[in-house]
Parts: sequence; C-alpha cells; structure tokens
Amino acid sequence: MARDVLIYVVVHQPRRLKLPAQPIPFGASAQDVERCLFDEPLNERYFRKVAATCYRPATEMFMELVDEGLRLNVGLSFSFLHQALMWDPALVDAFRRLVTHSNVELIGVEPYHSFILLLDLERFVARMRWAQDRLAQLFGRRPRVTDTTELCMSDPIYAALDRAGFAGSFIDGRPWVLGWRAPSFLYHGGGGLKLLVRHHRLSDDVGYRFSDRTWSGWPLMADTYASWLRQASGDVVVLAWDYETFGEHHWRDAGIFDFIRRLPREARQQDLRFVTASEAIAAHGAGSHHLALPVFPATWAGGGGLEFFLGNPAQQAVFQLMLHVYNKARLSRDGRMLDLALWLTQSDNLHLIQWYGREGTEAEVSSYFTPEEWWRLGRDGIVREIQQVYKNFVGALDVSTARGRPVRRGQPAPPDPEVAAFVRR
Amino acid sequence: MEGRERGQTRVLLTTLGRANTTFILLSFEGPDRYSMAGGLGMRTAELARALAEAGYHTHVVFVGDPWKSATETSMGGRLVLHRWCQWVSKYYPTGVYQGEEAKRYDFDESAPRFVVDHLARPAIEAGRLPVIMGEEWHTAEAMCRISDALHQAGLRARALLLWNANNTTGFNRINWGRLGYVTVITTVSRYMKHLMWRHGVNPLVIPNGIPGRLLRPARPRDVAAVREGLRKQVVLIKVGRFHPDKRWVMALETVASLKARGFETVLLALGGIEPHEGEVLDRASSLGLRVRTVTGTSPSVAGYVRAFEEARHSDVLNIKSFVPLELLRALYRASDAVLANSGHEPFGLVGLEAMASGGVAFTGGTGEDYAVHLQNGIVLETPDPEEASWYVRYLKAHPAVAAALARGARHTAGGYLWSRVVENLVAKIEFLAVRQDLLTPATTPPLEIGEEDGRVGTPALAAR
Repeated sequence: MARDVLIYVVVHQPRRLKLPAQPIPFGASAQDVERCLFDEPLNERYFRKVAATCYRPATEMFMELVDEGLRLNVGLSFSFLHQALMWDPALVDAFRRLVTHSNVELIGVEPYHSFILLLDLERFVARMRWAQDRLAQLFGRRPRVTDTTELCMSDPIYAALDRAGFAGSFIDGRPWVLGWRAPSFLYHGGGGLKLLVRHHRLSDDVGYRFSDRTWSGWPLMADTYASWLRQASGDVVVLAWDYETFGEHHWRDAGIFDFIRRLPREARQQDLRFVTASEAIAAHGAGSHHLALPVFPATWAGGGGLEFFLGNPAQQAVFQLMLHVYNKARLSRDGRMLDLALWLTQSDNLHLIQWYGREGTEAEVSSYFTPEEWWRLGRDGIVREIQQVYKNFVGALDVSTARGRPVRRGQPAPPDPEVAAFVRR
Repeated sequence: MEGRERGQTRVLLTTLGRANTTFILLSFEGPDRYSMAGGLGMRTAELARALAEAGYHTHVVFVGDPWKSATETSMGGRLVLHRWCQWVSKYYPTGVYQGEEAKRYDFDESAPRFVVDHLARPAIEAGRLPVIMGEEWHTAEAMCRISDALHQAGLRARALLLWNANNTTGFNRINWGRLGYVTVITTVSRYMKHLMWRHGVNPLVIPNGIPGRLLRPARPRDVAAVREGLRKQVVLIKVGRFHPDKRWVMALETVASLKARGFETVLLALGGIEPHEGEVLDRASSLGLRVRTVTGTSPSVAGYVRAFEEARHSDVLNIKSFVPLELLRALYRASDAVLANSGHEPFGLVGLEAMASGGVAFTGGTGEDYAVHLQNGIVLETPDPEEASWYVRYLKAHPAVAAALARGARHTAGGYLWSRVVENLVAKIEFLAVRQDLLTPATTPPLEIGEEDGRVGTPALAAR
C-alpha cells in the first residue's frame, strides 16, 4: 500500500484568439499584430471571472492548508501569469506567497501551454529552461521537476526534458502506457529524469467526476476518498488536477472546497502523508523502474492520446497552421514575431475545437471551454475563423521575413534570437 | 418665395433644437484630405459643418488622417472630429480605402463602444437626444452594434439611429433585416429609395447638399479666358470616375456626333485613375478623336488657358492636373454643356454643383431628383449620344433657353444648400422622434407626416 500522496495542481488560462479573425495591416508592427491576434477584452473577462470563482478562494484555501502542514505541488503557465500580471497583480502576489511556502514545490510548465514539444524539441528545451529562469526571477524558486503541456509525455519529450536537466516530470498513468505496471511507482525512461505517474482513475474521480450525480461514487466524501488512496498499491499516489477544478470546473456549491479542506485530516487518519515532487523522487527515485515510453505522446486529456487534440480534420488543419506560422516566423528572424508564433502554438487552440464533428463527454468538455461569445459564429464559423487568424499571421510575416537577412553559403547563420524581447517583460 | 414659406414652416416645426440635440455622424470618409475619396467625404464634411453652423453639437467619427490628432474641436466646440482607425491607417498612407477590411474590422469593433460610452450616454445624461447617423455599408454593422450596446445600457429608446445609403456599393454585405430593424434607413434620392425596396426596406429620402460657396458666381473674365483659350464652337465638360455607369463612352460619341455635323467641339475630361479609362481612350481613338493629356499644369486660370491654347487641335483634353474649385466653376460656366449623363447615379452631385455654378447640366434620369427637364437643365432619357448631341445643338440655336436654364439651375441649387438640407433633416428627425415617443405629437403639426411618401409610418419607423 502506498503511503505517500503527491498533489499537483496546475494553473492555466488560455490566451484566446480574436474571432472573427481581424485583418492584420500589411507591415504591422509586432505590437499591432498582437492586438489583431488575441482578444484581450475577452481574455480579461474570463480571467476575472475565474479569479473570482477559483483563483482567489482556492489560493486562500491552499494557503491555509499548507500552513497546517499539507505538502503541495503547484505549476503555473506563463499564459496565466501573463494575464495575471496585466489584470490582477495582487493575485500574482498571492500565488507568490503560496509557491514560496516551505511546504510547496514549484513545478515547471511549458510556458505558453504550447505544442512546441511536437514541433521543435530544441526549442522546447530552450523554452523549458527559459521558464525556469523566468520563474526564478518572479518567485525566487527554480523548478527541478516539471510538467509539460497537458501532461504530454513520450520518448522524445522525455529525452528533451532529460537534456534540459530536470530531475523529474509527470506522465498520465493510462493503461496503454503502463501495460501491466501499477501507477503508484516511480519510473524512468532510460535517463536520469524520474517519472511521476498520475493516478488516472483516482485523479479523475475528483477532477472530472466529483460533481457528476450519475456517478456511482457521488457524493464523494473526503474520508471515502482517503480510504481509496490508502488502498492504492505502490510507493506514491500522484494526484494531478487543473487548479480550476476548485471553484470553476466544480462550483463551490458542489462542495469541492469543503472536500479538499477535509482531505488532509482524513488522509492522516489513514496514515498517509503528503509529499512534494522532489521529496517523492528523493524517497523513491533510486528504486524507479524502467518504462518503455511511447513515441506517440500520452496526455491527461481525453482518451489519453493526442487524438483529443488532433482527432478531427479541423484540428489537423490548425496543427498544420501552427507548423507554418512557427516555421515562417523562424525565417523572419524577428524575436517578437517568433514569440507570437509560439503563442499561436498554444494547445488550447486545438482543445477548443475537439467537438468539431464529434459527440459525447469529451466533446462536451471541449465545448465547455469554448468561449460562449464564439458560438454565434456557428461551428463551421469558429473553425474557419480560427484558421483565418493563422493565415492572417502568415501573411503578416511577409514583411519581417523579407527583412530577415539571407544567409550566404559558407557563412555562419546568425544566432537564432531566443525570443529575448519578451523575457524582459 | 416658395422656399421662404417652406423655411418659415420648418422653423415653426423644429422643436428639436440646438439645446437638446447632439448629432453623431459615422462615416469612413470625412473632412481630412486622407479621408476624401469621393462625394461621401465631402458630404460628411459639409453636413457636419452645416449642423455645427446651425448650432448643433456635432461629432464625426471617421477614418481620419493617422498623422493628425485623434480628436479635433472647432467652431466654438460644436464640431468635434474623432479620427478613428489611426493605428491601422498608419500602415495605409495612400487614403481612406487602402486597407479597407482592416479598417472596417477595427471600426466595427471599437467605434460602437466609444460612441455609446463617450458620446451618446453623456448626451442623454445631459438631457439631449443623440441622433446617430451612419453612412454607407462600412458603418452598417457598427450601427447595429451601437443599437445593441444602447439596448444593453437601457438607453436605446432615448436615441435616434439613422443609416444612410449614398450608393449601392456594398449592399451585398449588409444584413438588411437587422439594419432595418435597429435603424431608420435613409437615402439620397427617390431612385435609390426604389432600388432599396428590393432589400425589404423603405428609406426616407434626405437629399445631398452643396456648400454655399458654390453659388458664388464665377468671375466673368475667367470664363471668357477659358473660352478664348479653347476657341471651340462647342465646349463640353465631364467630371467623374472612369466607370461605365458614368457613360464616358456616350460623352465621346456625343463629341463625335457634333463634329460630324460640323461643330468644332472639345470635351474637357476630368476623370479618375480607374482602369475603365483605357476603354474610354480606345473608343476615342476609334472615333477618330484627337486626345491630349493635360498634366503638370499650374493650378491657375492662366496656367490652364495656356495649356488649352497649346491643345487647340485636340478634341478631348484628358486633364490629369489638379483643378481648383474656382477654376472648376469657371469651366462649368464656360461650357455649353456639363455632361453629368450617368446611367446610374444615386444623387448626381456633379450635376448639382454645375447648376450652382451657372452651367447647363445634362443629367441622366436616375437619382437626380433636382433636375427638371428644360426648367433647370437637360435630363437625358436614353444612352443615345444623338439625344445629347441634339440638345447641344438646340441650345446653341436658342441661347435664350440656355440662359434661362442656367438661371433656373442656380435657383434650384439654392434650395440644396446644406443649410436647407439640415432643415429637411431636422424636420424628419423630429417626425421620427415623435414616432419613437421622444417628442409629444402635439409639438408637430400633422402636415409633415407622410408628406414625401405614403409609406412613411410603416413598421420600419415603429418605436424600437
């Protein structure tokens, strides 16, 4: 029976596109291109809404719990931090207090919640290191353990994170990944990086099913859940949730706050102890087991594979467009345009159209995350306009691409601008 | 005399006055040189000025010069220009319609909220009636959004929204059902009104206007100098874009017809930069007309007279140099006919301007409501150049008739000064305000209701 429990919560807000797509003036500056790409009033509206229902009350709750001894692991995307710094600096301060608490470990996250990890592993490594540096600047903490995007993990991604120097990362414990193995052990993929396996079922009991009145486990009580945790075999039970689980995915009225407040006490009753990621690796890393990682990434979204993001023709088209904007932005050698291209590789732009041509619970989840303001465009309209945003950006890159200095044969390529401009933001 | 009586009647009717009305005009084109592409810019500039001169608080939200200040106040604070889309326009330096789609998006997205929050709401809170008027298809969506925003703010019933069509361009991009529901639709002529019926709307007609300075007589010595420089028996002038609707080819064929009958004729052609010019010049060549392009001419009467002298053997002078207004008025006056002979003309401002200058306008028979055949000009009923040619010869043979037409033309033009158009507009707005319960019916005599069209009072005007 596992005695250690690791709770990881990740904070993220997508940076939603502006729909219908806004035409970008020819020759527009990066700043003006940016205002055409993203709907900041919409983003602000959603940000403030979620801040009120989730970020503030949940952070207050977790602060109380870690003060009382709960060990917690928190990741923050820069997509979230970017918005929080603009619209709610006090909230950033609240998170700073939380993630610098001695009982909390700050976890790395792919900064823009992007799919760069599918497009360019070199860049992915650089971005993860950049995120470490930026988090160190913001919070004085440098993550040793990292999440990716949507908990994506594969053999190539593992290799990249290992090269980036992280001590550990996460993988969702889906049966198609683990096979006969139990999730509550530490694994490795052949390198030094340890893999913390999210307990898929136990995590989703809270993350997805907590409010589901048709679920046989409803209503889920903290004492029941603690007993389930106690029954898991292995060394450490890893529970990973969206931060927005608390107050947004499950409303306060559903009892989610009361549930989490009660959980540490009930866990102690079951002789369980909460650990940070580094503590789990220190305690169990030496005995980690080899796991043959899939080449196709696993994710915690949907059915556990990338079909959640790339399963319909609309998503596949947008993914191609992600490739095009990224590659053309690289040609431009303009760090600001490259930064915008990275924003456009945000996975949410695929997540939000998972429902296209589909039905069922996953489609319902995807629809839930699609801004309600978009629905007046109709399903086809949403997909068409998302694609148009990318096409507009490809066009907007014409000028900066033309400005990019050609590289003569035999001449060393100029250093790739490592998106330096926005690091100073 | 008739006009004076009508004017007095309107003064009595006008209960929406300077103290309680704020006009907010939305238009792509506007008073800046950057924003002037055609008649719309002039209309917006002149209408705004006329409203402000009449004492109304007037705001103009338009795609202004990106290098000028965002807001400009004049006329004692009564006229305020709000230059919109400047961040987009700075990437499109050549004019208002360059980057049209990018500007329209920005206009739709940002102007409505500004109008509601910063113009309409303060006006309402100050006890004034905001009259919000959009021009052309570019502002149709913005007007709908303004209505929605006012509705959300609980202010919709306290504002009047009008949308005006000056042309049929862009009609395919308008959601007529929505626009007709949230605004009172207006247009500039009965011809346009009839064209718009097919879209399920019944616009009110509020004509275009001309500024008072156009009524000042051209200097006789300038007129004489122009005639002397040209030394032709018949002088024709045509001003307008090179577009088939303007019937440039018919104008050339009129010249050819007159020449064939032994009249030494010249056509002064002031066109644009449109590709149809090539077709027009090709037709001139096939008719055996000698075309001379006039460029780089000093913008003075003397400069043009010199250019005309050098081109005496030409039949068509294709003028590409800038022609100042004073000179243009002299050219109108010096001509035997101003060929405003369009086949499709929503209003026909050139014909009216020519009439104001004392020229004899040959108009088409579409939107030129002001033109009455053989009372103030010639109204051509067909695209047949022989019709125009015949009337030119008729007037040459009957100079007293030509002189009477010119007098009638100036008298008619006097009724279309912007100050008069504003009276018309305010009277209609007052009627609309009554229909929307913004004024008590007792303040308005029933005389004006349904004066222009029996359809007024259809659901399109119902309180919204």
